[in-house]
Amino acid sequence: MADKIDIKNVAKLASIKLNQEEEDRLKNDLSMIIEHFDALSKMDLPDDKISIHPLGMSLNLAEDIASKSLTHKEALSNAPESKDGQFVVPPSLD
Amino acid sequence: MSNYKLPISKINQLFKNKELKPSELYAETFERAAITESIIHGHLELFQEENLKKALNSDKRYEKGKNLGTLDGIPIAIKDNINISGYATTCSSKMLSNYISPYDATVITRLKNEGALFTGKTNLDEFAMGSSTENSAFGPTKNPWDSSRVPGGSSGGSAAVVSAGSAIASLGSDTGGSIRQPASFCGVVGFKPTYGTVSRFGLVAFASSLDQIGPITNHVEDARLIFNSMKGHDPRDATSLIESKAKQPKLKNAKIGIIKELMEDGISEDAKKEVHKVAKLLEAEGHEIIEVSLPLTKMSISIYYLIAPAECSANLSRFDGVRYGNRVSGSTSSEMMELTRANGFGPEVKKRILLGTYALSAGYYDAYYGQALKARAMMKKEFTDIYEDVDYLISPTTPSDPFKFGEKSDNQLEMYMSDLCTIPANLVGMPAISIPTGLSSQGLPLSVQIMSPSNTDNTLLDFSESLESLVAFTEEPVINGVVS
Amino acid sequence: MNIIPTIGMETHVELKTNSKMFCRCHVLDTESPNESLCPTCLGLPGSLPVPNKKAIEFITLLALSTNCSITNDGMFHRKNYFYPDLPKNYQISQFDLPVGTEGSLEIVVDGEFGTVEIERVHMEEDTGKSTHIGSGRIDSATSTHLDFNRAGIPLVEVVTKPLIKSSKEAVAYIEELRQLVIDLDISEGKLEKGNLRFDANISVAHEGDKELGTKVEIKNMNSLKSLEKAIEYEISRQTKMLIAEENIIQETRHWDEKKEVTSSMRSKEGSADYRYFSDPDIPNMILSNDFVNEIKKIIPELPSQKRKMFIETGLSIEDANNLGKNKNWIGDLYRSITKITGDSKSSFNWVTGELQGQLRKLEIKDLPNWVTPKNLSEIILLVKEDKISFTSGKEILANLIEQEIVPEEFASENNLIQENNIEEISKIVEEVIENNSEVLERIANGEEKLIGFLVGQIIKISKGQVNPSVAKELLLKEISS
Repeated sequence: MADKIDIKNVAKLASIKLNQEEEDRLKNDLSMIIEHFDALSKMDLPDDKISIHPLGMSLNLAEDIASKSLTHKEALSNAPESKDGQFVVPPSLD
Repeated sequence: MSNYKLPISKINQLFKNKELKPSELYAETFERAAITESIIHGHLELFQEENLKKALNSDKRYEKGKNLGTLDGIPIAIKDNINISGYATTCSSKMLSNYISPYDATVITRLKNEGALFTGKTNLDEFAMGSSTENSAFGPTKNPWDSSRVPGGSSGGSAAVVSAGSAIASLGSDTGGSIRQPASFCGVVGFKPTYGTVSRFGLVAFASSLDQIGPITNHVEDARLIFNSMKGHDPRDATSLIESKAKQPKLKNAKIGIIKELMEDGISEDAKKEVHKVAKLLEAEGHEIIEVSLPLTKMSISIYYLIAPAECSANLSRFDGVRYGNRVSGSTSSEMMELTRANGFGPEVKKRILLGTYALSAGYYDAYYGQALKARAMMKKEFTDIYEDVDYLISPTTPSDPFKFGEKSDNQLEMYMSDLCTIPANLVGMPAISIPTGLSSQGLPLSVQIMSPSNTDNTLLDFSESLESLVAFTEEPVINGVVS
Repeated sequence: MNIIPTIGMETHVELKTNSKMFCRCHVLDTESPNESLCPTCLGLPGSLPVPNKKAIEFITLLALSTNCSITNDGMFHRKNYFYPDLPKNYQISQFDLPVGTEGSLEIVVDGEFGTVEIERVHMEEDTGKSTHIGSGRIDSATSTHLDFNRAGIPLVEVVTKPLIKSSKEAVAYIEELRQLVIDLDISEGKLEKGNLRFDANISVAHEGDKELGTKVEIKNMNSLKSLEKAIEYEISRQTKMLIAEENIIQETRHWDEKKEVTSSMRSKEGSADYRYFSDPDIPNMILSNDFVNEIKKIIPELPSQKRKMFIETGLSIEDANNLGKNKNWIGDLYRSITKITGDSKSSFNWVTGELQGQLRKLEIKDLPNWVTPKNLSEIILLVKEDKISFTSGKEILANLIEQEIVPEEFASENNLIQENNIEEISKIVEEVIENNSEVLERIANGEEKLIGFLVGQIIKISKGQVNPSVAKELLLKEISS
């Protein structure tokens, strides 16, 4: 199982840049944990029931009534960089 | 006993009788913090200046006999993953060291409405991931009973400050035991309510289907008081429950199950001894004690370490340096985000994000995350079935007494095992409480955990209060040579 | 062997709710950036999503109106990918349990009916808006500016099966979908505002091939015109490649509006694995049969039903389709008028042509209340029965829009009633012939266009009350005899 971890791809998906030392250590750590999951993965469990939420709960939808929340200033108050009322980031490619 | 160790209802009585003023208690708490914090490091930030004025306002309300609620004037510490408007919410992460929240969590709004005061924000394992506060980016919190030992985690700061007396009570969050385990390590009461009874709005999410806010207190009655001030439906949290009527467990002549799987290998003799001791006391009160088996409990660590990382891998995606957080510059936005996240997250957080990303990725979903959801459903059924027979379940809160710094940080699986007894309650949503019951052979606190069916929180608290008086645990830690 | 194109459409429809999909921020139509934000749509730590009831009603309306099966026990999923305009770096969407599945939509192409098969209709949230600052091209941008006002606005994604065969069908489908969401009153439906945004998946294959060709996704088509051109360009590009036996790559291509070509977009590395999983912040969405039945009750008359009804009045499929694209009151007016006049074609022409034209010119949005089916029909019938000329009809209509008049009275008072009495007209014809012997001679010598001059003389003498066609007929008869 452990050999299967493509740590570079996983880090890319998670958008975390890893150095070589981290890659090696994390690959090793994750492999150990995943090995521990073996017993669970091999269990024969019925397909018909899954539990996403701990309790069966009904969805309470919100009425479509708009209200004001953050001011423009508050929204931008933690921005690392902003200009002309917009958040600024290095160029993003489509 | 010092005022800060009194039950809140007693303090409230003193306030009402004008024998004590909120501002005096507030000052006393901060004096206590001055003695203890340099050793304990439970608070990341103390709010003294700002809140002194609020304490004086509380004085005036009591003078006029118009206090807001029983919590009016009570200094409460808040775990630093719960948002208070105008203050930093760091989650003990470098990522958010400069982040100031523009809004109040629902629990904060509710406590403010009661007149509660806040002492400050408390330390935690980064983003609540850990069992020792060793994962805090701002240094660990020390156990008030022995500063060479961990206070537990992730709500280590919240548990330590209550134990040390620098707050009357505190709020923690519990995803796999993060309230109960540190409460046990610090010899105080920790309560994780039924999932959905306390709003999560404003709690920085670790694992959304497991997270629950709850109180850490000196007394069970304080836990009940704070819980009842916070609970109730919140329209801003879609998973918040509308109060429902459940069949309540019995308070007298109850049937209590000791979970066999949580009394086996990996559980220390000290911890088992506490459970047996408590069982005897309960039996003497006319309760029936039986041993029950919940086989899937043995799988709970695996189930948990698939579900929680999977959810956290998405929950923590928002920390990208675009709208807030400590940005590391890059030539493109995607490079900026990768570097920001590399720099902002500590090793444990990175590990869990990657673990969750892996468990959800193409080709592995069914074997891991999908399988964990099925096992969770089975586990839920096991517990539902057992509650047909018993009123409460009992187990140790932790497999052992507090461990030393560094003792488990090199062995991740052993560290993860310290949540063995607490995880099931999060996976199935039921309420669970940790009550200090005695000291280990090393003179360190030990607790038992009581669980009951979902939506029976107040009955569980009533039952726990009677147990608390049976046990009569009164030991206090000695800090800086001063007993609290 | 013939080469057959296959097209699938993915369309995002922006719903017109008051508040956003998962928070109660106003849906604002504003140029000021970052004005309508809260912890939830800005993705602040600790915020949570609560779905909008109205949006769920709207998507159910759309799913039912496209003949979809409704998923009673559905849920929301998180679609994970990192992009700066996506506040949480996951989009709340729906994966394997969308609100609607397996539907269809009737369309009209070249005056004939067709059907587009719908695969799924699902709910999701919009992203923020990126503006790339720099020298025009994305590649050379120096920074990106982000406005999150749009983030979290409810979107319905409608995905068709890949069974569309031509650019015309694709355009007709979008037109039909647009009309549907407008008639359902769930979206502004304005393409220029991005209320409807569409991508096309195109492949080509030899006729009879069992499998579809390699799929290419085309983005950035902002109008029906560019949709049509982009599809045609892409079909021809792929067809040439197939004939030349070149390898068609599965990719996303960008429609360049200026150059009118599609070009390959730089692909985001590793973006294909979205790691969908159910959103633990939102309980399962149960759409009970009671709820669905309540929504069924409020479905208004759909474009296809309107079309059917118009066709029953005698209109062609094409006219019926075009009439349906107008505001509802136009269709209603047509219905009332055609009942009175009994002439669907001229009722259609008058309502959609003359009446709408004049109203548009005068910038009148609502029909004045004295302009009724009754007096409009009166005008149409006066023209139809040759009592007044078409030109006079237009004049009367113009006056009617301005003030309350009775068309027939107005025609009499203003001498617009045509003389159709042959004897009376004959007298004038004779008079004109007598007075224009010179002109008659020139006509006899081949200057036939002078006939028109004589008709004009007749009309002049009659002070405009002679029906020109009757006058011409009598004139020609006289000349030839």
